[in-house]
Amino acid sequence: MLPAAAVFHFPWEIISGSIQEGESVRTFGRLVSYQSEESRATLSAQHASKEHNVVVHTLFVEPFNPIIGAQYIVLGETENAEGVGVMIRARLMNCVDGVNIALLQKAINEQRRFFRERECKQAKDAQPADAM
Amino acid sequence: MSIYFYNSHPIYKVDVLGTVVYKREREDFFCYGVDDGTGVINCLCWKNDRLKEEEDPNKSEGKHSDAAQGAFSPVIELKKLKQAQQKLCCLEIGELLRVRGPVKTSRQQREIMASAYYKVNDPVMTAQIAWMMEVPQLYRLCYDKPLLHSATSVTALTPISKAKDIIQTFFKQRSVSVFRPYDVQDLLQPLISCQTQTTSVDEEPVAGPSVCQQLRQLLRETLEILHKEGIIYRKVKSQDEVYQVTAQDKDLLITVKDIIREDSKREKYAEKGCHILHILSAVRQRFSLNVNRAALERVLKSLECNSDIISTSGDHYTMF
Repeated sequence: MLPAAAVFHFPWEIISGSIQEGESVRTFGRLVSYQSEESRATLSAQHASKEHNVVVHTLFVEPFNPIIGAQYIVLGETENAEGVGVMIRARLMNCVDGVNIALLQKAINEQRRFFRERECKQAKDAQPADAM
Repeated sequence: MSIYFYNSHPIYKVDVLGTVVYKREREDFFCYGVDDGTGVINCLCWKNDRLKEEEDPNKSEGKHSDAAQGAFSPVIELKKLKQAQQKLCCLEIGELLRVRGPVKTSRQQREIMASAYYKVNDPVMTAQIAWMMEVPQLYRLCYDKPLLHSATSVTALTPISKAKDIIQTFFKQRSVSVFRPYDVQDLLQPLISCQTQTTSVDEEPVAGPSVCQQLRQLLRETLEILHKEGIIYRKVKSQDEVYQVTAQDKDLLITVKDIIREDSKREKYAEKGCHILHILSAVRQRFSLNVNRAALERVLKSLECNSDIISTSGDHYTMF
C-alpha cells in the first residue's frame, strides 16, 4: 500500500546504471527539455566538469508547468527504457528553483556518512568480544 | 499504548519531516504516508472540529452584506483564519509535512498518531536540507549513545551526591549541631552494598578495597565536599574529629551578628557596611580559625533571611 522510501541519489549515479531497476529514488537537476507529447523531461546536473542528463517520464505528474532552466526534484522509480537507458518514472516533480545545490549535495553526503558509520559500528558490535 | 526503544532510549514521541507520498482521507482524519528518504511511515492526522464543519453558504452570504466596505469584519477574518488553518492541515501528495506524535503498531504496521502536524512551505528546500544535516548529529550525540542511568534523574546521582543528600537529611531530621564521622558512617552503608550487588555472580572475586574501606573512603570524600561547601566545619582541629553543622550552630550565628552590629556602628563601615572578608577575618580571630568563606556565606544568608542583617552591596553587610 505504501510505496518504498525514495532514497536520494545523484543524477550521475542514476545514469551509470548502478541502481537496480524498480528502485524508488529521489534526485535533482535543471530542466533542459520537455516533450509533452511523449511525456518526457530531461534534467541536467553538473559534476566533475561534465553534464549528466537524466530522463524522466512525466505521465503521472502531468499536467506540470515546465519552467525550462529551473531546478527540480524528481521522485519515482527507475526503469530501463529502450533507446534511453535508465529513466525515472516520476511520481512527484517539484520545482525547487533557487535551491543551493552544493548544500543539498553536502546534506546527502552527510546522511550517507552517518549511515555508513552506523553500519560499521553495528558490524563491529556484532563481532564476538575477545575472551578475557 | 506500546512502548518503543531506540538503543535503550525509551521513545515517547517522534518528530519527522518528509514528503507526502500517499494520502487517504476519512471524515475524522487524514492518513498521510510520509517519505523522508530514510523510510516511509503512515501518519494519522486527526481533523480538528473546525476542519470538519461544513460551511453554510447562505449564512456567510448574509454576513458579508452586513459588513461595511473596508471595515474590519470579525466574521470574514475568522473565515480567513479557518481557511488558513485548513490549508496547513490538508496536504496533497508532493507537499512537505512535519509530524510529531507517539508511535503505535496497527495491523503489524507502525504508524505515527500525530499530536501535531502542519504543512511546511519549503520552496528552496532550506528546511529539508537543514533537517538532513541536523538529524544525524542528533543521533551521534544522543540517540546512538547508550542511555546513562544517571541522565534519567534530575540531579546526577553519583554515590557522593547521594551520600551528601543522606547526611544532610539526617542533620535536618535530628537537628544535629555537632557530630563525629562514625555517627554518620553507617548511613552510607546502603550505598556501598548496592554497588557490590551490581557485579555479576559469575565474576571471580576481584582483589580490591573491602566494603569497609570503600565506606570509609566515601565518607571521607563526602565530608570533604560538605566542608568545602561550608555545610560543616571543624571548630577546633584536634585528634578528636568533631564537626559543627553550620546551619545549627547558634554560637557562630551570634558571633557573626555581634561582629556586624559592632562594626556597622564604626565610622569606617557606617556608610558601606562590612565587607565579607572583614567579617571572616573577625570570625577567625574571635571564634574559630577554621571557618571558611563558604560557611560564613551560609550564616550571612540565614541572617539576611531573618532580616537580622542587610546586604548593602554584593559582598557588604550591615545592621541597623
